[in-house]
Amino acid sequence: MRKVLLLGLVLLMAAATAFAQERRVTGTVTSAEDGYPIPGASVVVRGTTVGTATDLDGNFSLSVPQGNNVLVVSFIGNVSQEVTIGNRTNFEIVMQPDITSLSEVIVTGYGTQQKREVTGAVSSVKGELIENLPMQSFDRALQGRASGVQVRSANGLPGGAVNIRIRGVGSINAGNEPLYIVDGVQMNSQDNASMTQANPLAFLNPNDIESMEILKDAASAAIYGSQAANGVVIITTKKGKQGKARFEFNAFTGVTQPMKYLDVLNGPEWYEMRRDAFINSGNASPEANALNGMGILPTNWQSLSREDLEALGQGVGSYDWQRELMGQGRLQNYELSATGGDKQTQFFVSGSYNYQESTFQPVDFERGTFRASLKHQANERLSIETNVNLATVSQTNPFSVDGSFLGNPAFSASMILPHNAIRNEDGSYNTSIGGVLGQNVALVNDYNSGLTRTNTLVGNVVASYKVSDNVTWRSLAGINYRTIQGERFTDPRTPDGAGVQGRASQMTDFRTNFITTHTLNWNKTYANVHNVSAIGGFEFVNESREGFSGAGIGFPTFQFRTIQSAATPESITGFWTGYRRVGGFGSVNYDYNKKYLLTLTARYDGSSRFGANRQYGLFPSIRGGWYLKEENFLRESSTVSDLKIRASWGRTGNDQIGNFDARGLYQGAGNYSGSAGIRPSSLGNLNLGWETNETINLGIDYGFFNNRVNGSVDLFDRRTKDLLLNQPILWTNGFNAIANNVGELRNRGIEFEISTVNVDRGGFRWNTSFNFTYIKNEIVSLFDGLEFIQGGTAGTQLAVGQPVGNPAFPGSQAPGAHFVAEYVGVNPATGRPMWLDAEGNRTYLPIAADRRYFGSNLAPYYGGLNNTFSFKGFELTAFFTYEYGAVVTDGQYGFLRENGTRLGLNALREVNDRSWREPGQMTDIPRNLALNGGNEVRSQGRNFGSASLLNADFVRLAQLMVAYNLPTQTVRRLGLNRARVYAQGVNLWTYADYPGYDPEFVGAGTGQLPMTRNFIMGVQLGF
Amino acid sequence: MKFIYRLAFAAMLGGSVMTTACDGILDVEPRQSIDADGALSSPEAVNAALNSVYARLRSIGNYGRNLMAVSDALADVGVTTGNSGRLIQENNNQPNNHFNNEGNVFWQNSYYAINEANLILDGIAQGVEGASATQIAAWEGEAKFLRALYYFDLVKSYSYIPTAIYTAGLTDEGGIPMPLEGSITSDIGMNRSSPRATIDEVYSQIYNDLNDAIASLGNGPVQYASRGAAQGLLSRVALYRGDWELAANQATEALGSSAGNVLSGQAYVDGWRAESHPEAMFEVRYAIPGESNGVNLSLSSSYTTLLNLDASKNSQGGWGDFVPNQRVRDFFGLAPLHLGGDESDNNNWDVTRNNDVRAFLYTTGSNIRGAGRQIECIKFISKTGFAYADNVPVIRKSEMHLNRAEANFHLGNTAEALDELNAFKGLRGLEPVQLTGEAILDEILIERFKEFAFEGHRFYDLKRYSQAIDKTSYLGANALVPFDDFRILPPFPQREVDINTNLNQNRGY
Repeated sequence: MRKVLLLGLVLLMAAATAFAQERRVTGTVTSAEDGYPIPGASVVVRGTTVGTATDLDGNFSLSVPQGNNVLVVSFIGNVSQEVTIGNRTNFEIVMQPDITSLSEVIVTGYGTQQKREVTGAVSSVKGELIENLPMQSFDRALQGRASGVQVRSANGLPGGAVNIRIRGVGSINAGNEPLYIVDGVQMNSQDNASMTQANPLAFLNPNDIESMEILKDAASAAIYGSQAANGVVIITTKKGKQGKARFEFNAFTGVTQPMKYLDVLNGPEWYEMRRDAFINSGNASPEANALNGMGILPTNWQSLSREDLEALGQGVGSYDWQRELMGQGRLQNYELSATGGDKQTQFFVSGSYNYQESTFQPVDFERGTFRASLKHQANERLSIETNVNLATVSQTNPFSVDGSFLGNPAFSASMILPHNAIRNEDGSYNTSIGGVLGQNVALVNDYNSGLTRTNTLVGNVVASYKVSDNVTWRSLAGINYRTIQGERFTDPRTPDGAGVQGRASQMTDFRTNFITTHTLNWNKTYANVHNVSAIGGFEFVNESREGFSGAGIGFPTFQFRTIQSAATPESITGFWTGYRRVGGFGSVNYDYNKKYLLTLTARYDGSSRFGANRQYGLFPSIRGGWYLKEENFLRESSTVSDLKIRASWGRTGNDQIGNFDARGLYQGAGNYSGSAGIRPSSLGNLNLGWETNETINLGIDYGFFNNRVNGSVDLFDRRTKDLLLNQPILWTNGFNAIANNVGELRNRGIEFEISTVNVDRGGFRWNTSFNFTYIKNEIVSLFDGLEFIQGGTAGTQLAVGQPVGNPAFPGSQAPGAHFVAEYVGVNPATGRPMWLDAEGNRTYLPIAADRRYFGSNLAPYYGGLNNTFSFKGFELTAFFTYEYGAVVTDGQYGFLRENGTRLGLNALREVNDRSWREPGQMTDIPRNLALNGGNEVRSQGRNFGSASLLNADFVRLAQLMVAYNLPTQTVRRLGLNRARVYAQGVNLWTYADYPGYDPEFVGAGTGQLPMTRNFIMGVQLGF
Repeated sequence: MKFIYRLAFAAMLGGSVMTTACDGILDVEPRQSIDADGALSSPEAVNAALNSVYARLRSIGNYGRNLMAVSDALADVGVTTGNSGRLIQENNNQPNNHFNNEGNVFWQNSYYAINEANLILDGIAQGVEGASATQIAAWEGEAKFLRALYYFDLVKSYSYIPTAIYTAGLTDEGGIPMPLEGSITSDIGMNRSSPRATIDEVYSQIYNDLNDAIASLGNGPVQYASRGAAQGLLSRVALYRGDWELAANQATEALGSSAGNVLSGQAYVDGWRAESHPEAMFEVRYAIPGESNGVNLSLSSSYTTLLNLDASKNSQGGWGDFVPNQRVRDFFGLAPLHLGGDESDNNNWDVTRNNDVRAFLYTTGSNIRGAGRQIECIKFISKTGFAYADNVPVIRKSEMHLNRAEANFHLGNTAEALDELNAFKGLRGLEPVQLTGEAILDEILIERFKEFAFEGHRFYDLKRYSQAIDKTSYLGANALVPFDDFRILPPFPQREVDINTNLNQNRGY
């Protein structure tokens, strides 16, 4: 884009000619960034008006007047170079990108702005930063890249859900997902695969992304009105570049690995632990009982001595189920793109194939994409453009995405009793499994099958028409069409399938989202100093979702795996839902001589989701900036190279609730004895309206020492009012909740970003960028003067003055702050677990009144640190992310922490080692017991209260990359424009004091695929 | 070419103008729901709404599991196997492991059902176009029968039973919230904070509803409310209230009704093999596989590892989490019996039995699950023809004999009581007994225990006679829940107590 901008300017200069005696020099200008020639770069003889612009291949040819010896080569976004001519007549000029530039262009709402003119809080992430990361969707790659943007992967499922929170959690029930806009098309980021997680943003190959802009403050986002409450992420994909057709081939391959195996007990250790539990419980035959729990008590046990039984227990085998079920997977990625065009028409086409196995076979992700971008300047006034993204994704389903299902390997691998052999001696699966996991999860995993396919089309057509020199009309029509089709077969040879002789299920989900946007742009400069621009527009969105699903049971044999072979249909159902939004918007930009900047925006939006009385809302904003660097006292400063202060206020809306939440409805449900039933499903609320966010933002953009140190600091206060809260209804009144506008939430915070060039000497360059965010989240008020209501997960409370938690999935209620009795370890005399009561006294049986607050699972501190080193074509990048302050419960760890006392499940070595054994021992793990479900009589369970809370702090080496760009000359000799080899690792190292698999997850944590470590090696060739 | 561009441009412009001009641009109507306003205005809609109230009885909170299996686990009927880990804490009477389990589904589902019944009663009071007077009377009878049943199940579980009210606590006085008006507007939904009605008020209301139901209901299929079913239920409610006269005469009325048959001998055993139990006066119906409560929580899976009556005992079935204890095994002389052949083949095993025909409702299960081969109750064993579902008899006609015998005993008609007991024993293959005084009552209660083991009666029978739950013989010295222990009552859902300031939590929670 910026290359094209300057072209026209440069060409004007090229018109100058010289008549003096002269010599002719030629050369090529290429970019150090990607090795490609730069068309439109300006080449001027210093001290003259003699100059030219490079052609489409980056070539130039110039007559240099006598007595001049220096060429000045410049191109926007790159550092200008001066080249001494000497005796040479041919030049290979490599332009270095000017990374400290504030002149870069930022995509903002319905337009673009120079970075120095931006007065809101906008973070920009360039596509190259996340290039070649072995991740299926760009949202995951955003982690740690920008302040104020918190990213958590829900799990380690390739193509799985990713949880993004921009400036905290601003809604309890109405969704916290930012608005994603890909090439002007607003994406619905809601996953609706029922058999796995199909991240809707995975349709886009992250390498097709040119840049991502994150609009964080309400003033920047307010132009998007009703959907912008949680910030806006604008994705701009790569577009065609003028020039001879260029091709780029990129391939990488690698592996994915578990980051951690839990250190669980082996066979004899588990036996001993269990035997001791029976001894502690006063049991007369502890050996026999322990063996019985393991399912290996001989039938003649009564004739055996205790010693014999002990020998049996000590002699059991040990099998590593985790390493059987978790392991290394492959991943690979291939891409080919072509771009080029002439002045009138530019194109970009690309295709890619991506395949990644998970660490749990056979779960995987396979994607093919195709992308085309075409732009044509029809005449001086009219240009047309289209962008089309097609993607097909296949994912082999996991047994389940999460949950304590015995057949779920992510749950069972660490839980199954270790003395159970995986296979019999003849290689067949061992089917007599002792312990509560009475099934061979390896068999289940092997025999069941299922696949989810997602086909996505995201495309647009754009026409812009220059009505006059300073007025442009732009119309966009876009579509986001997605089909998800899933199937699953529960094999009759597995325990779950045995009872029903196999079960096949199918689901299909069609989603169509249509958007059309029409804008009118106007700009004018008065008296050379008053720059005014304005935009007005209209937008309409219509989305519908429709699907059906069914299941059948009773299969002749396991070979018949599709639903048509089912003897009995088990269920058949379908759904339809939809909504519409319509809005008009306008914005006015004014600046005085680029020094004083002011923007006003407003949007008036309506949504079909709200009550008849309150469908429309107004979302205004104001923002201003003072570009101090342009002031006389700073203009000449060599220390301060950039300085701007900004302030903004804006209001945005949120309508991320159910499409018919405002309606009082009866739905079809409750069939009885073969005839249909209906029942009330929701309470109506005609006054249900927008949840609004009002954010005040104060910021500074700074640059020192020629911008070798630059960055920004922002302070914000985001208040969410009229929360779309599912106000709880007493069950005695027949409903669970009513959608209502009540309560207020507040996120206050500071964001800090700094980028430095630490060393730039002799071709060696070391850049560092660091960002830090602190957010204080707090519920300001609820309703009816209530101090608290129950949070979205058990044991949490949404309470005034306390933070909310991070809701796992769109549509789920935010958990509150943990509100439980404080656990204080075991009584050293007896090994019984103790808690504090309301008066601070120790008790075995805490009650509801003893609960207190322990923070939430939303980390208040997070950020990232990136270091890049480059030297003569070598590059090294080390990128860290960190989070601090989240308090979580981890269901998987919770089961393991029971130490096998409640159910026949394996235990963690470190937990068992800490269990109370003798009077006087101070520890947090109670004595092992084998009665009462592992709990002391008249006592709360051992995981009760704060006993099960964990700190989820971590620092992680999220990315380590080494790359080598072959020297231009070598590359040329090979007939290429560019060649680069690289190796990259993701999540190579984590610092965390965390006893479970990994502190980064979203949700209950039970049976979720943990995050993985990935390594890849690849090559990128341009020709 | 230029013309085409202009055309395209004009079309886009025109399109945008057109959409703006559209009236009702935001009108989107749901397609799988209808407005609550006026939803119950046709006879078909009222029928469908009533179906939903019946259907809620299938929930695992109600007759799908808790009122049978959790109730018996709380009492002294059986032991847990730990095969799936379920019901252990309930069987241990661990605090907070009670009828509130599985997220308070019993409470939530029951009150939803009551609200639906209230809405139906409100709706028919306003008149339903096209409905005959007979239809309206029948609907009213059904809705009131169902409301009475849900309230009775709630009040007997969450409160003390009138015959034995423990009064030492300060906060657990009273029954349960008892709204009688339907809630369909946000006004009632958000503002009605029903306090605990007194136990007496709740029982009186149940009487009223059942009397109205008896007056307006006729005979009908066993899966729907009928006059006989209402009489049978009223007999039980009266028995719980210590209203002996009423209990006895309603038992007589019920026995005279056409609802259900009292069976004896082999016919009785066969009754438990039938898809629909012939003794049932009212049963909860599971009609299609989709209505099954599944392998984890269904009644059959809770009680037996066997798949169904016809399948090999080696076919994998449910979890078999809860099996008879020694006392129940002794009632029927149950002990594992190897029939010969391969010991590892479950088909080669059965149990020894005494003369009591009810012994045939037990057999050995499969050894696939962790606890190995156990003696299990097979009253519920997927008899519907699909996995993990059984139609559940809520009231069996046999109960009427035991109700009447017990009521007669309290009325001083001990001879009649003993005669009825002995007659009943005869139906089950037992010899008559000769007893006097309190021993007759004790024997009646033992007979109830035997007859209704695994049907959820025992817990309430202990509760209404203020007897301790004694499991010391098999769960250890601490396994005793005296009647004054707070664990006799479950906690109300904490969320309800938090929101409803008028609602007092039960003692100890």
